Amino acid sequence: MTLGSQLAGGFIGTLVWTTIVNTASARGHTRMDVPFLLGTVFTDNRRKARAVGYALHFVAGLFFVFPYAMVFTVVGYSSWWLGTLLGVLHAVFVGTILVNVLLPAVHPLMGTPETAANEIALIEPPGFLMLNYGRNTFLVLLAAHMAYGAIVGWVVR
Amino acid sequence: MRTDGYAPIEDYALIGDGRTAALVSRDGSIDWMCLPNLDSQSVFAAILDSDRGGRFELHPSIPFQSSRRYLPHTNVLETIFHTDRGSVRTVDAMTLPGRSLAPMRELVRVVDGLSGSVPMQCRFEPRFAYGAAAPRREMRGHIPVASYRAEAIALVAWEAGGPAWRGDAVEASFEVRQGERSHLAMITASGEPLVIPGKTAVDARLSETIAFWQAWTSARDYDGPWMEMVLRSALVLKLLILAQSGAAVAAPTTSLPEEVGGQRNWDYRFCWIRDAFFMISALLELGCYEEARSLFWWFLQATALTAPELHVLYRLDGGIAPREREVALAGYRGSRPVRLGNAAAEQTQLDVYGDMMEAASRYSDGHHAVDADTGAVFAQIADHVCDIWRLPDDGIWEVRNGPFHFTHSKVMCWVTLDRAVKLAERGEMPSRDVPRWKEEAGAIRRFVEEQCWSAKKNSYTRTSGTEEVDASLLMLSHVDFVDPRGPQMRGTIDAVVRELSHGDFVYRYLARDGLPGREGCFLNCSFWLVAALARAGRLDEANDLMARLAARSNDVGLYSEEVDPSSGAFLGNFPQALVHLALIDAACAIRDASRP
Repeated sequence: MTLGSQLAGGFIGTLVWTTIVNTASARGHTRMDVPFLLGTVFTDNRRKARAVGYALHFVAGLFFVFPYAMVFTVVGYSSWWLGTLLGVLHAVFVGTILVNVLLPAVHPLMGTPETAANEIALIEPPGFLMLNYGRNTFLVLLAAHMAYGAIVGWVVR
Repeated sequence: MRTDGYAPIEDYALIGDGRTAALVSRDGSIDWMCLPNLDSQSVFAAILDSDRGGRFELHPSIPFQSSRRYLPHTNVLETIFHTDRGSVRTVDAMTLPGRSLAPMRELVRVVDGLSGSVPMQCRFEPRFAYGAAAPRREMRGHIPVASYRAEAIALVAWEAGGPAWRGDAVEASFEVRQGERSHLAMITASGEPLVIPGKTAVDARLSETIAFWQAWTSARDYDGPWMEMVLRSALVLKLLILAQSGAAVAAPTTSLPEEVGGQRNWDYRFCWIRDAFFMISALLELGCYEEARSLFWWFLQATALTAPELHVLYRLDGGIAPREREVALAGYRGSRPVRLGNAAAEQTQLDVYGDMMEAASRYSDGHHAVDADTGAVFAQIADHVCDIWRLPDDGIWEVRNGPFHFTHSKVMCWVTLDRAVKLAERGEMPSRDVPRWKEEAGAIRRFVEEQCWSAKKNSYTRTSGTEEVDASLLMLSHVDFVDPRGPQMRGTIDAVVRELSHGDFVYRYLARDGLPGREGCFLNCSFWLVAALARAGRLDEANDLMARLAARSNDVGLYSEEVDPSSGAFLGNFPQALVHLALIDAACAIRDASRP
């Protein structure tokens, strides 16, 4: 599988992922804002945080394509539906561990269940499946990752 | 003195850690606590059901009298039990985590022998899910553990008689002699293994917790009259803020009744947008800039799903409040139903827009500029208010026989647009719609002056076209709608005093509100009256009333939502944020009016 197809798949997949999440946010389905969450690791200025966060998110989107490509290589096959299936696993991993557990652990402004009166958090923790950001958040997350996976599975050859 | 197993509400003191809180009675019983957070299910709810709710008792096993206080400038409670055989001191605290591994939540009770030899008894009855769930009870070595689903609670003790399960409660009896010390630590876990602490670690965390609260209090930069009341209120408010999100509950309890035996029992474990204005103002006055910023960020996050339309209240995690439902608890002295959730969430209350915008304005005045993205959202809110201010609503008091054209709601719509114009002129909001905001603000002012003023009573009125008055009118000078010293405000203050006051207390209104039963006097209205009097230049009256209200707090300086004007007994949820916020505002108003 060529590096070019992997990067192209990751880029287009991230573009679509971002569009889906932003559309869902604009329509009131979720308060999840991944660029904001990532960017506020580095700055508490909201506008700068989003700029930094979008850059980081696109880099992450390019990197996440490699585990997908590894699976395609192992099974010797890639397709949109296999990518979609991996997207489901990806969404569950993000909702239960990556953003739910790991991000609050390293984020300087985000609260955790352990945060007490002697600390001050600026950003509420996402909670299990990121449901603190709205009841439909995981569905949005799932749809976005399935789309990302489908595109990666389709483009990566 | 308990009645049918229920202590008077004023007999309770609050301890907490910024994650959850517990009510401790004068007789040493912890009768209310939710885990793991302020808005979680209860594990002790004897205050709502003496038989089935669950409690954690620790007191002498012989007749006693008690006196208590908070350790100076802390949220750590000290109770001294006096008996014929001697005296002991208990210290109750929820410890704060330090650098070493600590239990997820830890409630520590330390008993020190002061004189003689006092027999003590402990009874520990955890009940999960508002008393509905029977926990799994077992001993892990010498430690009793109760667990239910992903929650676990253990009681660790040192020199406290070896607590063990007896039936559905953990019991222990022990003797404390002068100079001896016993420890009990309730530790909890939610979705993780229990962390069992050692005695040294518990003592260290207790010392660090006391030091933290004293340092936090000394960092407050309030410099004015009624200092101790203000600092106690600040400490209470800090306990009502969920540290992990920055949101604050209106009170840490549900369904403490507005009338004993009545149905006016509500769940206050949510964050009201209305409280944002008061809370951010108070936090800034007290120099709690980071807490103010945290709360403001939380509001931006919580309202992101619904803006420009705002809900009245939100869950502490920023979600939409759940539908109101009832649970099968007996209720405080038979006051049923016990409710979870709050139906006010579904109401239309136009004042919340003004509260939000005033919070933003004060936040901005407090050296936190409103950024461009946030300013764009506030511009949408201002546009939305232009569209809806002519509609009737359910008002600040959340009446259930509305909607009406409440004067207070219209004034807060004016506040929305007035502050929007000011923020836009400072470059913190888009200015394209400023002409429309000015025009609509003028229309609101004309409506209030023409439709909501009674020449007969020389006062603004509760709603348009009526003659009733309402305590919320006391806020009109606070938000700069009228000259605080002008004839309109003076007349309104006099009308409120004439028609709604009962001794030191002030009723919200006397009109029907669509609910059965009666209620007491809302204490925040009394403090609003103090502030309005001070702003009107009637400083002596303000100070006199403030002094009388100071004497109405309970023995540790806390206030509930309401008070029975005839007996002085506390009613309603306890302690209530809005009352302590109003107290701080009243003290600040007196301070400002006293300045030359």
